[in-house]
Amino acid sequence: MSEEKQTKKIKIVISGPFAAGKTEFIKTVSEIEPVTTERKISHKEEKEKKATTTVAMDFGKIKIDNEHELYLFGTPGQARFNFMWEVLGEGALGVIVLVDSTDPTTFHEARRIINFFHSRYPIPMVIGANKQDLPNAWSPKDIAIALDISEDEGIPVIGLSAKNKEDVKKVLLALLEKIRENILEG
Amino acid sequence: MSLIGDLNSFSFADILQVLHTDKKSGVLIVEWDDMTVAYYIKEGEVVLARPVDKVFRVYADRDFAVLLTKLRLQDRALAETIKKFFLSRLDKRNGRFSFTQGFIKYPHDVPVFFSSEQLIMEAARHLTLEETERKISDELLIFEKMPDYEEKILKAKLTDKERKVLNLIDGRNTVKDIVEKSGLDKLTVYRTLYGLLSIGAIKRKKKPMKRRASISLDLLAKLIEKIKKL
Repeated sequence: MSEEKQTKKIKIVISGPFAAGKTEFIKTVSEIEPVTTERKISHKEEKEKKATTTVAMDFGKIKIDNEHELYLFGTPGQARFNFMWEVLGEGALGVIVLVDSTDPTTFHEARRIINFFHSRYPIPMVIGANKQDLPNAWSPKDIAIALDISEDEGIPVIGLSAKNKEDVKKVLLALLEKIRENILEG
Repeated sequence: MSLIGDLNSFSFADILQVLHTDKKSGVLIVEWDDMTVAYYIKEGEVVLARPVDKVFRVYADRDFAVLLTKLRLQDRALAETIKKFFLSRLDKRNGRFSFTQGFIKYPHDVPVFFSSEQLIMEAARHLTLEETERKISDELLIFEKMPDYEEKILKAKLTDKERKVLNLIDGRNTVKDIVEKSGLDKLTVYRTLYGLLSIGAIKRKKKPMKRRASISLDLLAKLIEKIKKL
């Protein structure tokens, strides 16, 4: 049996609207070159934001020890690939929903994603308010209000730049802390 | 930090929700093709609306009391400005908004003729079904009332139909149940839920977290240490 087959895989899902920075997030911390399923964008308005988009999933990997690996699965951002949320959500330990803090047009889509995971897979969740390094970024506090996240929902909204490794680590650690709380409560 | 966007994707109900919840003070500028309007916001409440020919003129008047004198506006006239330049423009979508926080000095006794709760509910009454589905994205969603909902409802001045919807929010009825039991059309129910959610009178009911034993605390601790060292 190969070493690959013996390794236990732990899964975290990175979700969020189109161009929220999911692929970048995974690239920043993955120990392997992330496997991506990017395709050129044909839609004119979306093309103005970036040239390619994820159509099935991205994944990156972090080796924990000889027996365990953490897989970071990125969901596609375009609405027509939403069926992949269902596929990728199954068996996930937690989910990080990334939001482009400079683009309020995507906040409602982010809430839709939060609703989806809450109703189908109620697992620990953290919101990453990405692109905080850019001008016109909404603050994490304002984004929490815009996403209707009430305090007792227990979903932290954390500012970050997905290009910055320390920021990405901060968000991952916040999710792991939520997972720890969840285990202790159980 | 900025609050910039466009009304097509982020409605007046959404903007006021953010300003009101965080009790922000400043000026919200909305630029439409036919008009630019400055909305003066004090602690989350809209206290004045006035059209401006050039945006930079707004920033020239930093003292609200002096501005009112300059505009020759009495207190009662403030309500008229909100009717004329806010309520009458709720159907106009193609506008860009930007909120600048804190540069204007407000006196402590600025009258509030329309509460934010009332304005948010009115803005929600102008949403299309597609727009309401941004928040009410699933007919299986369940809502429950916030502990202080009565205070907010009082300020919001609900219609009889909206009260009917409110009465059906009990932490058990789904959105679909509310539509069926109220006998109201879907759009009215969705608009009402959108408004009530935006004023903070209701919230989504939290689902119990799915317990997963797929990771032990020891392995989790190892994972945390690994991430820290990356």
